[in-house]
Amino acid sequence: MVEPNTKKPLLQFAPMQSSVDEGFWHRLSSLKLNKLGIDDSPIPVLGFFAPCSHPRVSNYLTLLSESLPSESSEASLIPEPSHGNRNRCSVSGILYNTNTVESFHALDKQNLLKEEARKIWDDIQTGRAVEDCSVLSRFLLISFADLKKWSFHYWFAFPALMIDPPATVVNLSPASQWLSKEETESLSAACNEWRGSKSTADVPFFLVAIDPNSRATVRLLKDWEACQSNAHKILFGFYDPCHLPNNPGWPLRNFLALIFARWNLKSVQFFCYRENRGFADMSLSLVGEALLTVPQGWKDSVPNAVGWELNKGRKVPRCISLAQSMDPTRLAVSAA
Amino acid sequence: MVLSQKLHEAFKGTVERITGPRTVSAFKEKGVLSVSEFIIAGDNLVAKCPTWSWESGEPNKRKPYLPSDKQFLITRNVPCLRRAASIEEEYEAAGGEVLLDDEDNDGWLATHGKPKEIKSDEDENLPSMESLEISEKSSTKPVSSFKEDEDDEDIPDMAEFTEYDNIIETDPSTYLVAHEPDDDNILRTRTYDISISYDKYYQTPRVWLTGYDESRMLLQPELVLEDVSQDHARKTVTIEDHPHLPGKHASIHPCRHGAVMKKIIDVLMSRGVEPEVDKYLFLFLKFMASVIPTIEYDYTMDFDLGSSSN
Repeated sequence: MVEPNTKKPLLQFAPMQSSVDEGFWHRLSSLKLNKLGIDDSPIPVLGFFAPCSHPRVSNYLTLLSESLPSESSEASLIPEPSHGNRNRCSVSGILYNTNTVESFHALDKQNLLKEEARKIWDDIQTGRAVEDCSVLSRFLLISFADLKKWSFHYWFAFPALMIDPPATVVNLSPASQWLSKEETESLSAACNEWRGSKSTADVPFFLVAIDPNSRATVRLLKDWEACQSNAHKILFGFYDPCHLPNNPGWPLRNFLALIFARWNLKSVQFFCYRENRGFADMSLSLVGEALLTVPQGWKDSVPNAVGWELNKGRKVPRCISLAQSMDPTRLAVSAA
Repeated sequence: MVLSQKLHEAFKGTVERITGPRTVSAFKEKGVLSVSEFIIAGDNLVAKCPTWSWESGEPNKRKPYLPSDKQFLITRNVPCLRRAASIEEEYEAAGGEVLLDDEDNDGWLATHGKPKEIKSDEDENLPSMESLEISEKSSTKPVSSFKEDEDDEDIPDMAEFTEYDNIIETDPSTYLVAHEPDDDNILRTRTYDISISYDKYYQTPRVWLTGYDESRMLLQPELVLEDVSQDHARKTVTIEDHPHLPGKHASIHPCRHGAVMKKIIDVLMSRGVEPEVDKYLFLFLKFMASVIPTIEYDYTMDFDLGSSSN
């Protein structure tokens, strides 16, 4: 366990946080009543997130009514991702909605998380994650919708592949300090262009290539080999929902696993892309160097995963009651 | 009071159904927007302030006079670091002795501890069209967030289940954010989803607020009133069905929007500035800031109105 690197600080990631719009529960209720019935097979869902857009708050993985498939009978049970909305980068997830509170408690959470982690790992191994990087940030949601009382018990997990021994970090600092003034300006402009273009606005993982003339370009992950020849520096960039000044956000974890498994890098310069009011903010964005001392055998099996969301610091599910807006008798009273 | 509001809603709904949307521009004359001007102004807002986007909302609530992909505008997760209500109470407190940044944060707690003020305010108020339907409720029952709804005591409290030991996550790479409210001011930060719909009856934009607490759990709309200027909280801010989303949301009633916008436009024109209709929403959001002073949305963006000095 005692590696030279353990002297260096561990790279610690701020967990992803969830936010569920009221509309999600409304649509889940009507899907359950009108289409699914007692069928409790898992449902594919979509979550949405965006880079941090304010220095004081992190962004969340948000579920909206569009996260669920449409109720109409001919529609498939797979929600359609909407492409090109910069404030809605899609993340695919899976929903296990149980019929009773007992079966909600009885779900084997450890195994469900493992199952999702395995999907992420498979996509890393096959190279699919390089082609479609949105699969790196899968999530898992378990729920019990009590439609008699209009209350919803739920618990999110954001599976993160664990790197063992954990990555350490050197030189984590605001991008504007890490880069030269010319590089900062060029990268800022390149990021704004990337976020402004419909084809790349919702692509959350990318490469930054900086040439010897301080000119930065943002590239797709699959261009990694092509970047090698002419780039002076390469940064691995991602949309960071986190606002904290000393910690990168959760999406970097699976990204590091991809970078290590795919390109075998021991030292990774990463770029936590953050915005202020919708534009690149290079003093809020971070650049750092992650050091990996992973033994070769690590890649041979699916790594362990963590990621159940805490509820006010505790490992318990959340519960929301929407009786006020959903219970017909209460609605009748308030409308009288 | 509730009845009068319902009657007004029914009247408004009928008028909206039988009249066509405004097509002729009356932006400078009346401070109102036609449907196509609303789209132009919305497109410009999305282009200049990219945290705003157009959305289509619930399919069954879609308005036929608006493009299906441009039904309303929304910006999500806007921070609100302080309660407008508590700031005003502090301001009114004798001699300004309560500090805004008091270390014990007494000011934060003050809003919850002064229900009497609200009550007396209400007694003096005559019922009016703009009155809140919830105001009578809020004085008789404690306002709490959804998850603590007092009517649902029989819901098993998940927090009491302790058999979650099948989740053993010891991970040195996870950064644990402090969750004790005293540790961290950030935890008192609420966030808001702000949406702008087009109100066909008043021919103006209309602002809707959906609030979340520090752990991003939905706030009851009544609690949203703490983040509204108290001059408006129980008069021009009402809680109604959102035109494009499910559920009840707090909304700034648009009955005076046209008149106020007309005044703002007149002031600009008297200074020799020719206001352009695509800037309407920037002006509008600046005006909204007087109603929701502590919610930090994109209204501060500098925009060029010609020779304006602000």
